[in-house]
Amino acid sequence: MAKPLSNTVDKGAANRGALVSDFTRQLVPILPLLVLIVVFLIWPIVNVAIMAFEDNYGNFTFDNFVVASQGVYAQAFGNSISLGIYSALLASIPGAVFAYIIESRGSEFLKRIINSATSVLANSGGVPLAFMFIAAFGAEGSATVLLKAIGLDIYAGGFTLFSYWGLVLVYCFFQIPIMVLVFSPAVQALRREWTEAARSLGASKWQYWRHVGFPLLFPSFSASFLLLFASAFSAYATARAMTVGTIALVPLMIGTLIDGNVIVDQFNLGKALAIGMVLVTALAMVPYLLIQRRVARWQK
Amino acid sequence: MKKKSTALRLRGVTKSFAGLTALDSLDLDVKPGELVALLGPSGCGKTTALRIVAGLEKADSGKVLVRGEDITELPAHKRHMGMVFQQYSLFPNLTAEENAAFGLRMQGVGGAERKARALELLDLVGLSALAKRYPHEMSGGQQQRVALARALAVEPEVLLLDEPLSALDAKVRTSLREEIRRLQLELGTTTIFVTHDQEEAMAISDRVAVMSRGKIEQIDTPDVLYSNPASSFVASFVGNMNRIPAQFDGKHAHLLGGKAKVSNTDSAAPTSVVALVRPENIRLFKPAHNAKAVADATVLNRSFLGPVSQVTARTADGHVVSALLPTADTGDLHAGDAVAVELLAKQIMIEGSNA
Amino acid sequence: MKRLGFKLPSAGLFIAVLLAGVFVLLPLGSASEYSFRTPALGPGTYGWDNYAWFVSQPDFGTFITLSLLLAAVAAGITLLVLVPTVVWLNLRGQKLRPLMEFLTLLPLVIPVVALAIGAQTSLPVELQSNQYSLSFFYFVLALPYTYRTLDIGIRAIPLKTLSEAARSLGASQIKVIALVLAPVVRGAVIASVFLTIALSLGEFTLTSLLHWQTFTTWVTVISQSNILGAIALSVFTIVAAFALLLVVGLVSIRTKRRQVTEE
Repeated sequence: MAKPLSNTVDKGAANRGALVSDFTRQLVPILPLLVLIVVFLIWPIVNVAIMAFEDNYGNFTFDNFVVASQGVYAQAFGNSISLGIYSALLASIPGAVFAYIIESRGSEFLKRIINSATSVLANSGGVPLAFMFIAAFGAEGSATVLLKAIGLDIYAGGFTLFSYWGLVLVYCFFQIPIMVLVFSPAVQALRREWTEAARSLGASKWQYWRHVGFPLLFPSFSASFLLLFASAFSAYATARAMTVGTIALVPLMIGTLIDGNVIVDQFNLGKALAIGMVLVTALAMVPYLLIQRRVARWQK
Repeated sequence: MKKKSTALRLRGVTKSFAGLTALDSLDLDVKPGELVALLGPSGCGKTTALRIVAGLEKADSGKVLVRGEDITELPAHKRHMGMVFQQYSLFPNLTAEENAAFGLRMQGVGGAERKARALELLDLVGLSALAKRYPHEMSGGQQQRVALARALAVEPEVLLLDEPLSALDAKVRTSLREEIRRLQLELGTTTIFVTHDQEEAMAISDRVAVMSRGKIEQIDTPDVLYSNPASSFVASFVGNMNRIPAQFDGKHAHLLGGKAKVSNTDSAAPTSVVALVRPENIRLFKPAHNAKAVADATVLNRSFLGPVSQVTARTADGHVVSALLPTADTGDLHAGDAVAVELLAKQIMIEGSNA
Repeated sequence: MKRLGFKLPSAGLFIAVLLAGVFVLLPLGSASEYSFRTPALGPGTYGWDNYAWFVSQPDFGTFITLSLLLAAVAAGITLLVLVPTVVWLNLRGQKLRPLMEFLTLLPLVIPVVALAIGAQTSLPVELQSNQYSLSFFYFVLALPYTYRTLDIGIRAIPLKTLSEAARSLGASQIKVIALVLAPVVRGAVIASVFLTIALSLGEFTLTSLLHWQTFTTWVTVISQSNILGAIALSVFTIVAAFALLLVVGLVSIRTKRRQVTEE
């Protein structure tokens, strides 16, 4: 168990203060957490990064990356990236508007219910989610039948739930709740005084949003957007349950390589694909970091 | 009063929240260039009144008039008011200068003119050097100055100040309130100043409206309010008051071995009451001085306040009284000394029976 | 002079809640409708058969218990490791905050499939073969959310002043944490435990790629043998998780109310 405020640290401080730097002394109480992060996150991923550059005999090579960036793998990266972008586009705006309405007008009780619901839905996925959508929007689904009865045939345009756009639709079911969950704190941070000050200074509602509200929310919005992208880009469970290998997606390919269901010439191809995914996510952070730098001056 | 001589007029303004009355048919007239403070304990309706003037809250009934024009139905952003809030009201994504220029920008004033005017106002509040700073880079006092500059930049019909000093520390509070008064006089801006601090209200206002339970108890200049309060509520809310048990005989209150005429009662029935006596209306001195009607007491403490000192003493029947005396007369009063207490006031106020 | 009482819900709020209801209930309601069908008794008949089917599966109870246990352990790690760390960072570890902020964001950048490969190839077998290692992974995967929730909640409280006040009154360091700090940070703590549990109960990717069987992976396996039963099981998982978190949420709102009235 971690005891960050342990007496020894405090009493010893006076004696050892000169020798032990402030930084190191602050480090001791957070060691348990650091160890967990290193063992269960950093160490594994560093190993993946190293092995991605090894051939089947442990010699250094770029071959894994060469293969991972060609043919079906390149196509999979394209699909996964566009899935991430479309899904983030479709989920971010409704999620943000919903978060704003609930935070600004909802009662404390309603906020609690929404919070519980979004926590559950944001973590939903995989087979249960797939079955729910099949029951609802599959060719024989209740919602499909219901919509057909009121004259809306969703299958008229050649739509199927097991297509790319079907997957985007299913992803919305957890992406919008994620947006509500991560964007709500930003909305909470908007102070009533700002609206009122703007109003009393002659700003219409739209002018308030244009000059104050939107600029203040934009950094959080872009962070949430990035999160939605990463979430859809790397989603595995739902993709596996919905597409039975019909759409090439990177997480699914890595999964089949881990499971050993597919034999490839290079043992470490999966690791190169995994590192490719890390790189894409890291690159996606660049625009976000640029925005952060621009607003850093007025943000605390 | 002729219409032209009122900058702001409230008539029968009533407001309740979920069945609780916040304002009860409030009337108020403010002359052009006047600074009126709305003073009262929290929950008395002062902020609600201010927000109704600003258009941020809608009155259930009653009218708000600015220079004789009915603005009751006008939305907040068309009212042309300048408002300063308690704190945190600056837009965090704009610099001091951009904040000060915000109202002009909303009016469509051009960039160069806007900037010049914003800088001029920042200069007035002594902050032109910080024009490029963001709110979080400024102290609380500086932020409130910028907020003041921002509100004044639009040359508002009425400047509305909602406890603008209450979040600041004591020293900044005093200097900023003097600055608010200086600017207000200089620009001749009609101002309403909401506060719960009686010292603040008395220090800078032309008139003070003491509010209680959604009504104005009394509105007068600070001097009149202090020397001639209309009710015991006003009397005890403004300045310091001793509260001393007394016997009421139908006309006079008997206390401290003396008596004083009671000014605020219709009843003539003798009863026990609490008398309200200002510290400067009590004299403490070494006994055997002369043979006036006095009470015996023991000195508890003496605190030096400059030209005057405050002396507290416990009377023989156990009540603590506090007296404000010229420091020169207190040299021989020490803790534990036996003293005589004399009631100087000829006329006092009482609060209901304390039987 | 705050606003008192309740406002009537505005049209915007009404429409938003309505749309959210449709968004959730259309799939969930449809699935429920399916889950109650009893084709064995003829078309158009409804009953609890599909629910009875999965409840009667011998592994149903086993895996529910296992998943709850793993979630509880992950929540325990959050309480014992993360909460004290964040409190410490806010009290005296200011210099380390940027580092921790970076580290706790990493699980968002590293896809779970990538982590799964790494875990499989680099962790010692003893660790991999212990089922509780999953709880530690769940804890780490939840960090981006739990760390931020705790940090925001705790930053809002003048921890330093409170702890100094308590210590000046003679409380020991341990007492400071237990009696003074713990109660005031309760809201943020409950929220972070909440997030850990929700993530643990729903995690599938890492669990299945590391070849463990928990409730979520068991659902995947069992659903291949009975479609209607699988749909019933899907409805059950979502509704049960919601009910569980709602109870936690309502308990915490009640304690919050009590604190407010005590003030």
